[in-house]
Amino acid sequence: MTNPVDTPVATPATELIIETNGLTKRFGARTALDGVDLRVPRGCAFGFLGPNGAGKTTMIRMLLGLTQATSGSMRLLGHPVPAERGAALSRVGAIVEEPRFHPYLTGRENLRIVAAVRGPEVRERIDPALARVGLSDRADQKVKSYSLGMRQRLGVARCLLSDPLLLILDEPTNGLDPGGIQEFREMIRAMVEHEGRTVFISSHLLDEVEKTCDAAAIVDRGKVVTQGAMAELAAGGEVRHELIIGVDDVDRALQVIGTSALVRDAHRSDEGLRVILADGPETAAQLNATLVGAGVAVMRLEPVRQSLEARFLEITARLDSTTDSAEVRA
Amino acid sequence: MSTTIAAQMAGADFLKLRKKRGTLIWALVLAWAPVVIFYAVTAIQHASNPGKYGPAGGTASFHDGVRLLGGLLFGPLVAILIGVEAGTNDASAGVFRDLVVTGRSRLALFASRIPAALALCWAIILSAYALVLVGTFVFAGNLSTPDGALILNGLGFLLLTTGVMCAVAVGFASLTTSKPAAIIALIAWQLIASPLIVSIESLGSPRKFVLSQALVHFSPVGLGDDGRHAATMAGGTALFVIVLWLVVFLGLGAWRTKTMDA
Repeated sequence: MTNPVDTPVATPATELIIETNGLTKRFGARTALDGVDLRVPRGCAFGFLGPNGAGKTTMIRMLLGLTQATSGSMRLLGHPVPAERGAALSRVGAIVEEPRFHPYLTGRENLRIVAAVRGPEVRERIDPALARVGLSDRADQKVKSYSLGMRQRLGVARCLLSDPLLLILDEPTNGLDPGGIQEFREMIRAMVEHEGRTVFISSHLLDEVEKTCDAAAIVDRGKVVTQGAMAELAAGGEVRHELIIGVDDVDRALQVIGTSALVRDAHRSDEGLRVILADGPETAAQLNATLVGAGVAVMRLEPVRQSLEARFLEITARLDSTTDSAEVRA
Repeated sequence: MSTTIAAQMAGADFLKLRKKRGTLIWALVLAWAPVVIFYAVTAIQHASNPGKYGPAGGTASFHDGVRLLGGLLFGPLVAILIGVEAGTNDASAGVFRDLVVTGRSRLALFASRIPAALALCWAIILSAYALVLVGTFVFAGNLSTPDGALILNGLGFLLLTTGVMCAVAVGFASLTTSKPAAIIALIAWQLIASPLIVSIESLGSPRKFVLSQALVHFSPVGLGDDGRHAATMAGGTALFVIVLWLVVFLGLGAWRTKTMDA
């Protein structure tokens, strides 16, 4: 019998690298994931964001066939899982929870074990993978002497053995120091931008996901609450270009802006003015010119960065209040 | 799955086993120490009092050597240690899930443990058997030495006994996924429960289902208590019992590996 892992995989040409429909997982009476519809596009860093216990690891374990779904369907690299699990996983690399190794073996020997399982051609990728994560010099030392950061990097090297189209990383920066986090972030961005891979990162660290990912889904209590491009998510479903403008005469500026088609909304604030542009951020320069042309001195013009954290807290607070009201009604 | 990949996977499992220093050292000590001590003591006795003690080598001491190794004590202990290590290694290190996410079938992951464990177990047993042969011939003096047929029979018996015990240990350990639990249970069964069950003659023919009794049937030398409490059986029955043990425990190990949450 031919195992799909052994044969070159024809990956269906689909724009979605992960797709789930109504994915549900129950552990007895407890529902860990509840009808999750997730869409992860190719070629991006995608954050799977949620508080601890939200169902992130359960989701990853189901995608990888480590545990079975109670109901629903999923596709990985266009292959239905678990029906074509072998074919799908042949081009997937994953670190679930924390990277684990045989501590008494060297880094290189640990990779040799996984390479043997993946196939004969994979052994040639061991040295490049070790070099890619900067572990060539320490590859022949036992893993028990590695720091957590080195183990994380060895975990990524193990993922790279499959020449992955998709990397699934579960809380990859847990336990890393700030330098290690920065290094890890740069490595992920390089994989996406220069190597064309898709990286799926589960994390409870909002700031980390915001800095690393192009798109994200927010999961809470087993449900995907929202998903989309990072800017859209932070802005609450719409892309909003907001400016802080410091001027010498706020009343005069509001009067000028009030008649301008460049502005959708404007109001006074502590910093001067808060303005929402009608179009893209490039119109900020035109607005500046308009104000200056009307004799208003502009001392500051700064785009407001929409915070994912604010959006996340808003969503989870809303869920909290919904749950509380349901409990009160019950 | 191609034979190349199967061989690679077994090779990877062998690497894990031979690099596990604690298990390897204990297995070597259990295999070599009894043989070395046996020949050293009998050689010293013979040297100190040749009139009372015969030479340490020869056919009789060969029988003793085979009893030590294959006589359901030290050889099987080596097999249990290595088999349990092979069955629990990935799960206890937490890397089983990393092997599962390669997409390789779980049954293939289970199956590759068996040849790896057998290879290491047999390599150690062969080295100990070589020590037995060295002692048998070097210290033979004027005594007769075993012929080629007896040497081959002894070798076959040792490989059968330790191979079956090793495979059963792989299956049982894969079922429990706990190294301490599997070692304690198997050693207790081998050293305490099996001899006890066999010695209760009132149990009658069900005693034939004790694995060690089926294995004893193939011994070229007398084992144990000279057959006073042995549950004698025909060759076909002994073979059936051995195959039954293998099928049951390898089947349970494979089932657990296939179905457990990784």
